[in-house]
Amino acid sequence: MSGPDERRVNDPLDLEAPPGQARAVTAEDEEEASAHGGPAAYAQGRGRDDSEKLDQYLLRRYHLYGDRAAREQLITMYLPLVRSLARRYASRGEQFDDLVQVGAIGLIKAIDRFDLSRGVELTTYATPNIVGEIKRYFRDKGWSVRVPRGLQELNIRLNKVIDELVPKLQRSPTINELAEAANATPEQVLEALETSQAYNSVSLQASPNGEGGEEDAGLIDYLGGEEEAYDTMEDRTTLAPGFAKLDKRERYILHLRFFEGLTQSQIAERVGISQMHVSRLIRRSLERLREEIGELDNPQIMRPPGDDPR
Amino acid sequence: MAERIDLEVPATLNALSTVRMVLGGLGARLDFSLDDLEDIYLATDELLRTALDADPLDRLSVEVLLDEGVLRFTAGTFKSAKLRADVTMHAEDCLDLCMLLRRTVDDVVLEDEGGAYRIVLVKRRQGGPA
Repeated sequence: MSGPDERRVNDPLDLEAPPGQARAVTAEDEEEASAHGGPAAYAQGRGRDDSEKLDQYLLRRYHLYGDRAAREQLITMYLPLVRSLARRYASRGEQFDDLVQVGAIGLIKAIDRFDLSRGVELTTYATPNIVGEIKRYFRDKGWSVRVPRGLQELNIRLNKVIDELVPKLQRSPTINELAEAANATPEQVLEALETSQAYNSVSLQASPNGEGGEEDAGLIDYLGGEEEAYDTMEDRTTLAPGFAKLDKRERYILHLRFFEGLTQSQIAERVGISQMHVSRLIRRSLERLREEIGELDNPQIMRPPGDDPR
Repeated sequence: MAERIDLEVPATLNALSTVRMVLGGLGARLDFSLDDLEDIYLATDELLRTALDADPLDRLSVEVLLDEGVLRFTAGTFKSAKLRADVTMHAEDCLDLCMLLRRTVDDVVLEDEGGAYRIVLVKRRQGGPA
């Protein structure tokens, strides 16, 4: 650790110091920070003001002068915090390294969006961003049951292959065509399609490519152009039992499939999402409808009057 | 030449996945498109779920007949009047089982057997290669 004399000569906390003379965080510093639970905790050991000033210095370097090296340094400094937060979610069926990667995206967003004028610590600002990114990952990319990694990867590959084949063939592809294009057997394709129903990607706020970032357009934006068409069918389908419990987009997709007679591929093209996503949304909407109708249990609607239910 | 596959599974929701996998394999053999397969998955899933709710069964018998681009799915036998009504009667503007089946398969037939009946869903290959 630097002694007072050394800091005076080569002080990274001196905001007026030319960038070339700023002391880089050493591996020793990182190790010590990590051992003490991250830069903030590290600050308490070596002097809270020092660490806060180091953060502030690096953030100023990056935000005021565009110093990319300062940004990289901040990312490296806070990776132990990302690992620590990712560890909390590591037992939920996702690879720890993947969660660290996702958490690091949250960290980078926090560093990039940090507002120097607000006077908060980077740790305070970064933690909810990192956790939020990890949670979003589980919500948008997570699987409700454990699916072997190979099948998950094939599923992702199939998503792309279907999107490529539909416009190319001008029709929905067959299983054999999918297998050939995805370099898999028809049995593997069928299994991957079956497991895709365990995929939790139901959030219509998430972007169609599954990234789900705040800057990404959500499905709701893709549906914007359909609002007029939606309004015309609204009166009709909201009257159907259980439909009131579905959100606008779910009603719209069910309307296209069952009232307008569009195929899943056609709906995918119309709405701007993948066919597999349409399939999942239809099944989940039907499941919710079934639950809702079961709760309503309205014999007037489902059965002719006087008919014995059994 | 027609090919017939008989399947008997426990009358539970978990077994529906097995039925889907078998149907997927057979549909693939007929060169059904993904849209066609999704239709037959939805139709059989919704039909069998309703059947499991309506009729207390221990085992579920399914027969699949393949013949020149046509998949004929038969389930039963059932006795429930509610299931019969759900399959055959449609309430206007209601996305009920009857409408769902009409939109996903080409024909729905009830075959009476004494006091019971079997339900037949017919799906013809449509969107696949010429």
